[in-house]
Amino acid sequence: MRTARARRRNRGAPAEPSRLRARDLGSEALAGLLQRPGRSVLTMLGTVLGIGAFVAIVGLTETATGQIGKEFNVLDATQVTVTDTAAYRTSKPTLDFPPNSDGQVDRIRGVIAAGVWWTVPMSQASVSALPQASGGNAIGLPVIAATPGALQASGARLAAGVLFNEFHQARAQQVAVISQTAAAQLGISNLENQPAVFIEGQAFTVVGIIANDPRLPAMNLGVIVPESTAIHLWGLPRNGRAAQMLIHTRLGAAQVVAAQAPIALRPDNPKLLSAAAPVSPAKLRRSVTTSLNTVFLALAGIALVVGAVGIANTTLVAVLERAAEIGLRRALGARPRHIGAQFLAESTALGLFGGLIGASLGVLTTLVVTVYHSWTALLDPRVVLAAPFVGGIIGLLAGLYPALRASTLEPADVLRR
Amino acid sequence: MTTLPREPPPPVIRLSAVAYTYRGPPPVRALKPLDLVINRGEHVAVTGPSGSGKSTLLNLVGLLDRPTEGVIEIDGLDVGAAPERDRAAVRAHRIGFVFQAFHLLPHRTAAENVMLAQVYADLPRRRRFGAAMAALGQVGLAHRANALPTALSGGERQRVAIARALVNNPSLLLCDEPTGNLDTATTAELSDLLESLCRAGTTLLVITHNPAVAARAQRQITISDGQLEEVTGRPVPAGQNGDRDAHGAG
Repeated sequence: MRTARARRRNRGAPAEPSRLRARDLGSEALAGLLQRPGRSVLTMLGTVLGIGAFVAIVGLTETATGQIGKEFNVLDATQVTVTDTAAYRTSKPTLDFPPNSDGQVDRIRGVIAAGVWWTVPMSQASVSALPQASGGNAIGLPVIAATPGALQASGARLAAGVLFNEFHQARAQQVAVISQTAAAQLGISNLENQPAVFIEGQAFTVVGIIANDPRLPAMNLGVIVPESTAIHLWGLPRNGRAAQMLIHTRLGAAQVVAAQAPIALRPDNPKLLSAAAPVSPAKLRRSVTTSLNTVFLALAGIALVVGAVGIANTTLVAVLERAAEIGLRRALGARPRHIGAQFLAESTALGLFGGLIGASLGVLTTLVVTVYHSWTALLDPRVVLAAPFVGGIIGLLAGLYPALRASTLEPADVLRR
Repeated sequence: MTTLPREPPPPVIRLSAVAYTYRGPPPVRALKPLDLVINRGEHVAVTGPSGSGKSTLLNLVGLLDRPTEGVIEIDGLDVGAAPERDRAAVRAHRIGFVFQAFHLLPHRTAAENVMLAQVYADLPRRRRFGAAMAALGQVGLAHRANALPTALSGGERQRVAIARALVNNPSLLLCDEPTGNLDTATTAELSDLLESLCRAGTTLLVITHNPAVAARAQRQITISDGQLEEVTGRPVPAGQNGDRDAHGAG
C-alpha cells in the first residue's frame, strides 16, 4: 500500500513548473504598454520632464563652466606675482627682496623659475646706439632691472643672442637684453659685431634681443639690464615703482607657491611682501555650478518624483482595470511572481523609455542653447548614458507597490466579475 | 517495475470529504463535506441555483482556491495542500478554463489569445503558432485566427476561449457557465462543440444554469445548499462510450 501510494505520488508529480521566460516577459510587458499608447505616453511625461531637465541642466552648466575654462589662460594659471607692498608705503628707495631671492623661491616645490624685476625709476631713460659725444640720436625707452631668474620666469623668447645670466648678475656687468622693438628703433639688426647701447651715458653690451615676452609686456618695449647693475648705477627702486617677483609654477601649484613665497623670502617679516595667485579654476567652477545647479537640480528632482508618482498611480489603476486579465493569467498557470514581474517590467519600461526620451530632449536643449550662444557644447557622456537607466530605476521603484498588489489579487475573486 | 501489478490510471478528479467554509465573520459553510470522482473522458454537468456552491466547487477543482477540509487529487496528485508553485504548474498543464465572460484580451488576435496559454506552460516560441492554429482548427475557427475579439461574435469568442483552454492538451476542461452570455442558437452550437470534444477524448466538467446544456452531459450533478446529489445521467448511446465503461461513474 505504501509503495503503491509512493509510486502514485511519484507518477503524479506535477509537470515542469509554469514559467515566464525573460523574452515572454518582455513581449507581454511591451504589449501591455502598447495596448494604451496614449496613456503610456502621458504616464512617461513626468519622467521625460524630470530626466530631460536633469540632463539639460547638467549640460548647460558644464557648457557654461567650459566657457570659463576656455578663457582661463594656462599662462595665468601658472603665474604668481609677489609685490613689495612695503615699498608703496614709503617714498624712500626700498627693496625688500633679499639678494638671493631667486634661489630662495626656486627651492619651493612646484616652482619652475622665479626672479625679481622693476622698472628703473627714470621717466624715460635716454638710450642711444652711439655715445652722445659722437652725436648719437638718443630715444626715450623704459629701462628694466631684472634678475636672470626673472627673464627665465617671464618665458622670454630670444630673436638673437643670449639672455644675461648669473655671471653678469654677480659681477654687475654692464650688459643688456633689448626688445626687438627697441632694437629696431636703435638701428641694431644683429649682434655679430657686439653692438652697445648707451643708457644715460653708460655703455652696455647688447647680449640678446627678445622677440616676445608673454608674461612681462613691459619687456617687449625697453632695455633690460641685470638687477645688480641697476642697483649699482641707479640705486634701489623708488618713486612708487616697487620691485616685483615673477614666479613661474607648474600647473596647479600656483596656490601653494603663493602661500609659501613671502615666508620663504622674508621669514623675518613676510608681511612686507604680498603674493597674488590666480583664482583657482576649480574654485571658479564651483562657484558657478553651485549657484546654478542647486536650484535647478532641485526642480528636476521634483519633476522626477512627480514622474515616479505618475507611473505608480497609472500602474496601480492598470492593475485594478486589468484584474480580470490577472485572474485569467493565474488560471492559465501564472504564479504570483509572474504577475508581479509583468507589472514591474511595464513600469520599468515606462521609466526607461521616459528616461530615453528625456535624455534626448535634454541633449537637444543643450545643443540649441549652445548653438545660440556660439559656445562649445560640453556634456559628460556618462550623464547621457546613465539617464535612461535612472529613468528605469525610477519606474522600477514606482512599480513595486502596484506589482505587489497585482501579485496578491485572488484569481477566484476577480474572474467572476 | 514489471513485478508490480498494473494499476488503472487515476481518475482525473477525486474529491474526498472536501468542504469549504468562507472565513467570516460570520463563517459561511459553502460546501458540506463531499466526495466526487470524475474519470477520464467523462462529460459531467453541475447545476444548481445561485449561491448553492457551484462557483466554490469550480474554484476548488480549478485550483483557484484551497479547500478548508478534505483532499483534492487531480491525475492522482494531491493538489489541495500543494505549494502554489505546483498548483500553478497543474493549472498550466492539466486544466483548461472556459469562462462565462470569455476573458479574451481585447487587443490581441484570436491566435494571440490562444498563444497566451502557452506562455506559462513554457512551450517553445517557434511551436506556439502551429499549436494555436491546431487548437483553433479543433473549434472550427482557423479562418478567424487573425481577427480581434471585437470582430468576433459571442459564439466565436467562446470558441476562441475553448481553443485557448485546449491548446496545452489538458486532462480536464473546466467550463464555468460557458453559454451564460450566448443566445439559444449559439448555445446549441456550443453544446455540440463540447459534446464533440468529449467524443474526441476530452474530460469535461461544465457548470451551468442551462438545463439544455446540462442535458448533453453523461452525468448530471446538482448542488443545493452546499450538498452534492448525483442525478442519473442520460443513457449513453451504444458504441459511443467505448472503453470508458471499464471504469464508469465513481
